[in-house]
Amino acid sequence: MTTYTICIFTENTFGLLNKITILFTRRRVNIESLTVSETERKGVSRYTITIKHDKREEVEKLVRQIRKVVEVLAVFGYLDDEVVYNEIALFKIATPIGTRPIDIETINKVYKAWVVYWGLDYVVIEKAGNEAEIMDFFRYIKPYGILEFVKSGRVAVGKTPQGLVEYLPQEVHGEYYA
Amino acid sequence: MGNYMTMVAAQEAAAIEEVKYDATPEGPRFLSGAQALMESLIAEGTEVIFGYPGGAIMPTYDALFDYTDRLDHILVRHEQGAGHAAQGYARTSGKPGVCLVTSGPGGTNLVTPIADAIIDCTPLVCIIGQVKSTLLGTDAFQETDIIGVTTPVCKWNYQITHPDEVPEVMAKAFYIATSGKPGPVVIDFTRDAQVGMMDKPYQYKKIEGLASYKPRIVPKDEHVQKAAELINNAKKPYILFGHGVLISGAMEELKAFVEKTDIPCASTLLGLSAMPIDHPNYVGWLGMHGNYGPNVLTDQADVIIAIGMRFDDRVTGDATKYIRQARVVHIEIDPSEIDKIIKAEAPVVGDAKEALRKLLPLVKSNNHSTWRNEFKKFDVIEEQKVTRRELKEEGEIKMAEVVNMLSQKTNGEACIIADVGQHQMIAARYYQFKKPHSYIASGGLGTMGFAIPAAFGAKKGAPDREVVAFIGDGCFQMTIQELGTIAQSGLAVKLIILNNNYLGMVRQWQQLFFEKRYSFVELKNPDFVTIAKGFGITGHTCSERDNLSDSLDALLKSDKPYLLEVIVEKEENVFPMVPAGASVVDIRLD
Repeated sequence: MTTYTICIFTENTFGLLNKITILFTRRRVNIESLTVSETERKGVSRYTITIKHDKREEVEKLVRQIRKVVEVLAVFGYLDDEVVYNEIALFKIATPIGTRPIDIETINKVYKAWVVYWGLDYVVIEKAGNEAEIMDFFRYIKPYGILEFVKSGRVAVGKTPQGLVEYLPQEVHGEYYA
Repeated sequence: MGNYMTMVAAQEAAAIEEVKYDATPEGPRFLSGAQALMESLIAEGTEVIFGYPGGAIMPTYDALFDYTDRLDHILVRHEQGAGHAAQGYARTSGKPGVCLVTSGPGGTNLVTPIADAIIDCTPLVCIIGQVKSTLLGTDAFQETDIIGVTTPVCKWNYQITHPDEVPEVMAKAFYIATSGKPGPVVIDFTRDAQVGMMDKPYQYKKIEGLASYKPRIVPKDEHVQKAAELINNAKKPYILFGHGVLISGAMEELKAFVEKTDIPCASTLLGLSAMPIDHPNYVGWLGMHGNYGPNVLTDQADVIIAIGMRFDDRVTGDATKYIRQARVVHIEIDPSEIDKIIKAEAPVVGDAKEALRKLLPLVKSNNHSTWRNEFKKFDVIEEQKVTRRELKEEGEIKMAEVVNMLSQKTNGEACIIADVGQHQMIAARYYQFKKPHSYIASGGLGTMGFAIPAAFGAKKGAPDREVVAFIGDGCFQMTIQELGTIAQSGLAVKLIILNNNYLGMVRQWQQLFFEKRYSFVELKNPDFVTIAKGFGITGHTCSERDNLSDSLDALLKSDKPYLLEVIVEKEENVFPMVPAGASVVDIRLD
């Protein structure tokens, strides 16, 4: 199974998430992660969807079918080595009085993770990185007692010199954010 | 908490203001949402609406009452009938069919025709009422999430919650329904948007393209050149054309193309009638119950030119074994169809008409008579083994005889509507189509019950044509209530029931592949002629071969709707037949 990252640019309209995910459902492709947010152009949303599939051809067909949704402006499918990608994870770690203190230096220097919130008897640590890096840190921090763990979906940018918005139809004169 | 209170206050203020708009329309062009809808339909050239009123769409029906001088409305008996009628209308008139139904069950009853229209590329604009926007999501009376329900089966859908949106959304709806690969669009129209007055003066501007959706019509030069190269170097080229030729109106272009190149061409089920059946280059139709030669010889062609067709599994049989030896040119308006089933070496994305126009000067005049004659050899075998048997005048009347005789009596010029099953295939096999847009059936979805409503829709779209529907006894009972619509509208459609007291196609499969275990396929039928009479439609039954000719004459002579029931052989099978999942070369003749 190969991981594919599919980047979809759409108009920011109602119910579009459903119109897109339904195409994955219909082809029995499971969505591993999904992130949606507005792009640097107002009114244009960007979806980053990761899937695992063993047939490249089928992924290409899926990509073409997504393009068919009227509100979709552009779709790009990538293999892992064609994109720079990351995820972000938050760990809520118990720090009751009397227990072994967490090793901030190792967390910062070795794992490139940061404490973003101090509670009375817990801390929240933020760790950005790829899936493997996040899981590495997960294994390190687990003995301290994980109260809560949450991980975002993947965000990715292509390794091509141009930005993907350059490929959008010319008619999209969306205003740039300052 | 403070924020929350301000929010509520703002909402209340907005609600009060809304009422104010209702009370004081400022001048004649400030229309209600429902009036704006009527104006928009007229601006798009709509002549007729197929519909059924109900609670949530009543304000729109009230507006329609003032527009009956410009908009015709046909009141169906079930919303499914409205959808199929609109499909029939679209396919004979070339215009989008418009349906108007209420929320909840009205909308869900329309889902089958919507699904049928998307798979058979039929332009529909379906306007479905919805509860007040303030009630959305509350399980209000007759509330169904119709956007959620129709998303997988329509080309585009949109919920209108403010009257101001009407003109722009309708322009978008018509553009999307009719452009590129046509399809159904759904407009979910909340009651308050119908009742409320527009804030701005009504203005209508047609749309000719959207940033996110602008299908390529004229193909790229390099694509056309590559295709021409392949065609010019082919020894045994073979054209497979489909519905796309009829949709884009490329009939003349196709004819000019085959006449210059002398390439044999075969049609898919929905492409039927795009080429007159007596054209020397036309070799027959493709697929599961298509002709012998056209199916088998796909295996010998070195270049396949697919035009406006999508390699449906009913055409390809086992797709992994289909035309593996051939290099493929695929002319298709929808890029997602390219390489979907069959890899194309020369894809040409664009409208069939434009593509053929561009291709014509680039292809060489040629003579492929030897290759074309190979089809004739297979025709002889099919004639001996299948056609002769089916047209032989002995025993019970056979469906093929009825279709064949009607074809002769109408000189191949009638518009044939077929329902779904054996009679559909027999109608396709034995009617000698001479005019385009003459075979209208549910191809992709295979919707039983399609024919009665599609027939009066087709007649509405082509009032000067003789419209004859072939319907099985099973199908007839799926939309039998639409006889009422026919009687009320007075549309002179001719209905022929080919009655074998069976769900014939399922029975045929049970006989051939399930050891003749006839599981729930025999019907105890009503007296169809009496039922028709009850609706005010004249008809009679024909059970003797000697009366068949007179019966068909009576049907054709009538200037009113007419029902003819023909009692046909109970266990007739349709051949040739490619068994499901088999390769097309393994087609069976008996």
